[in-house]
Amino acid sequence: MIHNTHFAQYIPPTLFHAVTGTFTWTAGQVAGEISLHRAAANQTSVITIPIIIPSNSVALQGAKLASIEVDYEILSGEPTSMTWTLNKVTRGIEGAVAVVGTVAKSNTVADAAAKTVDQHKQVITLTTPAWIDNDEYYLLELSMPTGAGGAVNEFLGAVANFTLKA
Amino acid sequence: MVHNIHFAQFIPPTAIHYATGTWSNAAGSVGSTIVKRKTANAETSLITVPVEVPSNSVALQGARLDSIEIDYELTIADLTSLTAVINKVTRGAEGAVAVVSTPAFTQSPSAADSKVQGKHKLVLTITTPAWIDNDEYYLAQLSAVAPAGTVIDLIAAVANFTLKA
Repeated sequence: MIHNTHFAQYIPPTLFHAVTGTFTWTAGQVAGEISLHRAAANQTSVITIPIIIPSNSVALQGAKLASIEVDYEILSGEPTSMTWTLNKVTRGIEGAVAVVGTVAKSNTVADAAAKTVDQHKQVITLTTPAWIDNDEYYLLELSMPTGAGGAVNEFLGAVANFTLKA
Repeated sequence: MVHNIHFAQFIPPTAIHYATGTWSNAAGSVGSTIVKRKTANAETSLITVPVEVPSNSVALQGARLDSIEIDYELTIADLTSLTAVINKVTRGAEGAVAVVSTPAFTQSPSAADSKVQGKHKLVLTITTPAWIDNDEYYLAQLSAVAPAGTVIDLIAAVANFTLKA
């Protein structure tokens, strides 16, 4: 039996889902890194990070999601705001829509500090860590209106921290 | 020791491979969901799901793949057809090509029902669940023959497997 509270899963930027804006794959600011690069533009981008950890059809088995860390850089043009929302998607059966619920969480970096021109490591911690059923998955969403400054960003990756039990 | 037959792995739409057609990131029809959306056009697209479960170089250890579920939505018009296949890829040694075989599977809903407009959860169940060697991987592929009007939203996939170690 495994019951380990220290598992983590790296989620590369190639799995991030970005809409609205011009996004490209680029080298990171540190040689050898990779990034999802957002070009400067005055628009509201939405970047969604799929949390790719195991699930399990039996209660209290599989993965219990505790937190998600996101590494990103704002290179220029501080955005107007950055709002993080953690959503749990319960998949629909054949012919039915999915149901989305918002998950309570806290952020280690305050809203005002998280949008400054700098390197950032935002940690999103679930208020109540959750075991994930095989009909569920989690999406971490960032909504980022940039305003006239435009904001050039690079998203380097994310890490999901979880307990694994089986 | 672990021997748990109830594991599953979420595979997001951004991990899936799309060939032929114009595919782009989009918000799903349900708020806060994400999809890859195919613009309506008469053409045959291939949607290939890389089945990202662990493997193991020792027989009967690692992951035994049981089934793959694919969530998608068809709007505006039915597809002409939607054909599923599961491919097992045995990687080539240095200088050699890979070898692909097609394990038997069953599907629910049927091919006829899975091509109509609506929200779908297509389950492909491998007839003989297979332990995956570290020189192998699986690809679940949908061939979608579209008329001019069909829009495809690919939402997610989930692989169900036994984990043993």
